[in-house]
Amino acid sequence: MFTLIKALVIGLALSFSCFAEPAQNKHVDPATGITSWEINSQGVNFSLTQILPEQAKAFYVNRGFTLKQTESFASSCVYMTIMRNDTAPGTVHFIKRNWSIISDNKSYPPVSVATWLKKLKDNNVNKTALIAFRWAQFPPEQEFEVGGDWNQGMLSIGLPANNVFDLIVRWDINGKEYNATLKGVQCAK
Amino acid sequence: MQNNKGVNRSLLILAITLFLMGTSHGAELAPLTHNLTVIKKPMPAPNLRLKNMDDEFVDIKDLKGKVVVVNFWATWCPPCRREMSSLERLYLATQDKNVVVLAVNVGEDIDTVFPFMGIVNPSPSFPILFDTDAKVMNQWKVRGLPTTYIINPKGDIVYRAVGGREFDNPKIIQAAINLNKWDLRN
Repeated sequence: MFTLIKALVIGLALSFSCFAEPAQNKHVDPATGITSWEINSQGVNFSLTQILPEQAKAFYVNRGFTLKQTESFASSCVYMTIMRNDTAPGTVHFIKRNWSIISDNKSYPPVSVATWLKKLKDNNVNKTALIAFRWAQFPPEQEFEVGGDWNQGMLSIGLPANNVFDLIVRWDINGKEYNATLKGVQCAK
Repeated sequence: MQNNKGVNRSLLILAITLFLMGTSHGAELAPLTHNLTVIKKPMPAPNLRLKNMDDEFVDIKDLKGKVVVVNFWATWCPPCRREMSSLERLYLATQDKNVVVLAVNVGEDIDTVFPFMGIVNPSPSFPILFDTDAKVMNQWKVRGLPTTYIINPKGDIVYRAVGGREFDNPKIIQAAINLNKWDLRN
């Protein structure tokens, strides 16, 4: 009897620990080596996929940047980011500057779109190219209704190549705060 | 100079390769959803007066009395590309049912948009409008691409969709057509 109770207690403890830490998936594309990290937490799906510096450069050269103008952004550890409200208990609202990148025991937000726009404007990037840049970024703030609202866009982490970090994504639903952490994410080489 | 040309050519080839990779990768992506958000307190649609591909102005004010689907998009936006053919199928299914589709391109010009139309199947036959400085998009409070609004015949926004959708889903087609009964219901 005692053994049965003990087994039940251990089983319950294990199942609670599973709920506490939602499963994180990692996928490496065999053809390109590009790595993705994905998490499903509390009805929200979130993923990061590496954008290689050459990919980012190609994208923006084709939007009107000169090669030189693409370099600082392309080498800032950029990800294709997707966030989707599948089955959250309400409207998901986030402000990107509330997210945290944890690296080398330091915590800071992702590089803001406004910071990049100022920098690129100072580097004489033309107006049309700036519009493309602005709208290709993951939104600084957004609301996703339940049932499939989502966005896809670029996210600049601001770390050198090959660095590893954790990303804490925060959102709220009617003022109640939620978060999910992607652990051990690596900047592209 | 010669080196720069070489680098630019390589980047162009890379961009084309990535675009094709993106297209094939699209097949592995999760299917687009077909839910529309009901706007609880419908609000009047902001102004929208933009040039189409024939360089003629289209004004949403002239479309009062019709159901209008307004889609904000760009050719470089992967979910916008994914949903474009379904938007054309929505248009084909509803064009004789008092529904108008307008696709507002953000920040690009006809030289970029026209070739893209050729690779969409079926190719869009609804009006493409050009918001070259993204001012209209800001007035409509769009925060990310694509974003789509559906406007009832009174001129109020009643549905919104943030992110790509399968617009030819019967549920969306019916929702658009049913808005013609809006005045009877309210």
